[in-house]
Amino acid sequence: MNFSRLDWIVLAGTLLLIILYGVFKGRTSRNLDGYFLSNRQMPWWIVLLSIMGTQASAVTFLTAPGQAYTDGMRFVQYYFGLPIAMVIVCISFVPIFRRLHIYTAYEYLEQRFNLETRLLTSFLFMLSRGISTGISIIAPSLVLHSMLGWDITLTNIFMGGILLIYTATGGAKAVGYTQQLQFIIIYAAMFVAGWWAIKMLPEGVGFSEALHIGGKAGKLNVITTGMTDHGFDWKDKYNIWSGIIGGLFLALSYFGTDQSQVGRYLTARTEGESKLSLLLNGLVKVPLQFAILLIGILIFSFYQFYRAPVFFNLAQEERVKNSAMATEYAAATVDYEKLQEAKKQTVVDLAAALRNNDQAKIDDLRTQLQSQEAASRQSREGIKAIIRKADPSSDANDTNFIFLRFVGDFFPKGLVGLIIAIIFLAAWGSIAAALNSLASCTMVDFHKRLSKKELSPLQEYRWSRWYTLLWGVFCISVAEFAYNMGNSLIEAVNVLGSWFYGTILGIFLVAFYIRRIGGKAVFYAALLAEAIVIGIYYLDIISFLWLNVIGAAAVVIFGGVLQWLFFSRKVNRVGS
Amino acid sequence: MSDTNEDRIPVFKKWRYWYRLVLGFLLLLIILFYFFTKHYA
Repeated sequence: MNFSRLDWIVLAGTLLLIILYGVFKGRTSRNLDGYFLSNRQMPWWIVLLSIMGTQASAVTFLTAPGQAYTDGMRFVQYYFGLPIAMVIVCISFVPIFRRLHIYTAYEYLEQRFNLETRLLTSFLFMLSRGISTGISIIAPSLVLHSMLGWDITLTNIFMGGILLIYTATGGAKAVGYTQQLQFIIIYAAMFVAGWWAIKMLPEGVGFSEALHIGGKAGKLNVITTGMTDHGFDWKDKYNIWSGIIGGLFLALSYFGTDQSQVGRYLTARTEGESKLSLLLNGLVKVPLQFAILLIGILIFSFYQFYRAPVFFNLAQEERVKNSAMATEYAAATVDYEKLQEAKKQTVVDLAAALRNNDQAKIDDLRTQLQSQEAASRQSREGIKAIIRKADPSSDANDTNFIFLRFVGDFFPKGLVGLIIAIIFLAAWGSIAAALNSLASCTMVDFHKRLSKKELSPLQEYRWSRWYTLLWGVFCISVAEFAYNMGNSLIEAVNVLGSWFYGTILGIFLVAFYIRRIGGKAVFYAALLAEAIVIGIYYLDIISFLWLNVIGAAAVVIFGGVLQWLFFSRKVNRVGS
Repeated sequence: MSDTNEDRIPVFKKWRYWYRLVLGFLLLLIILFYFFTKHYA
């Protein structure tokens, strides 16, 4: 992939702009209120963009178009539970968090239950968020390393370290303001990318025809039910039910109990502005995700007319070409390209039939295209098997590379640099919020709570800056470690959130809605639920989205049973 | 810094109308997506 001087200028200029803006806007009062809550003076539109910037990591923009290219639009269903969660968070979580004037969500748990439950929940959050932030550094770094040949350690440092300049100095205020600018740049660049993809389509094929081609190939499967001939498929990742139910629990955990999000909406000026930013996020998230996925469909349609790469990860492709499996790979490639040529002819005929509105021919060609698409997919699976055989430690999943390969091969100079810049910006947005929240938990839930020494506001501010820096170093170290451990670890850790989110949510649900259950019962229920969630994950009998539901339900049920069997009914009543 | 339930609610008179808007919009999107899937398939 060619990265020109102009691309370097655009990349460096964009990143420098963000750093300077963050340092300039991040000046705040030197105490915990200023550092972690921006003195609760952020307007709703900054909080909204901050919430959205925290949620969307670099992988969101790298993976989503590739996901649509390979698996269709059904991924958007993953977000169907989010608007419902926003309403529940606004009704139950925000009023209590705001009224208690807390810094972290877990402070509330001590008031409602006990110190042990607060520390356990805060620890579970820090463990999962710390490791997943490391993964959110290495995942885009690996893509840039493979596509551009950049040194992995340096890329990790740029991806996870440079943002410390403004995050450590300016805290939540710098995070919020930079996320606002990052959001504008990212979505403007994605809009340009979509427009360019349409412009690249052959003459006579417009946006509508591109959608029809994607649709006839089975890629516009926005709504799927997960039903098979044998009933509901519990291992099916994305369908309307896993999206609404599993997605609701995931979003409820994320927005209601994950400090990286709670810390964003606690910075709003009023309770109303916290709610407004969350509700607007509920309104715009699904359409925005739909638009990003649509870029993948446009890329898919484009590649039906032009030669699509057999495998989108350039570096991996080169390695297999120079391995003992080179001959086998070349033969499989020839077969795949024959299928591509046949498919291309079908698509050209289909485009003509669509123009002539010849319904009988459209139906014939659709059947033909779908069987050719299935054969292509099978052929690509065979090629991936050869890649894995050539290098067992390799990553044969090239979904993350599809969008960037398209950008590198067909986008003009300068625009390539801008797309690489948005990968950094998206990564920085989510990492900065994560580091700020990790530092707030370390400072407020552990240091300040457990230390016997009274600290001045300035000392607390200085400690908080150090904790931000230390978490930055920790996350970069996790990224380096994950790289050295190989791809399997990255995949395992990607689902790490689902191990803990359900349990954490269960604790909060008990806290808000089941007054009869006390601290000791919920503490042991959480430990039991955690063991069950991890056990079910290793049994591999259900898609990861359902683990959130199981974890939350297990805490509620075990909490009730343990309270009834062993513990007194006397419990604290806070926030009601 | 006011932080009460009496914060002025933008656009609507009550938060419950906002909640209905968000949930109604989700329902509308799902219906539109259903017809989108049908139309292009």
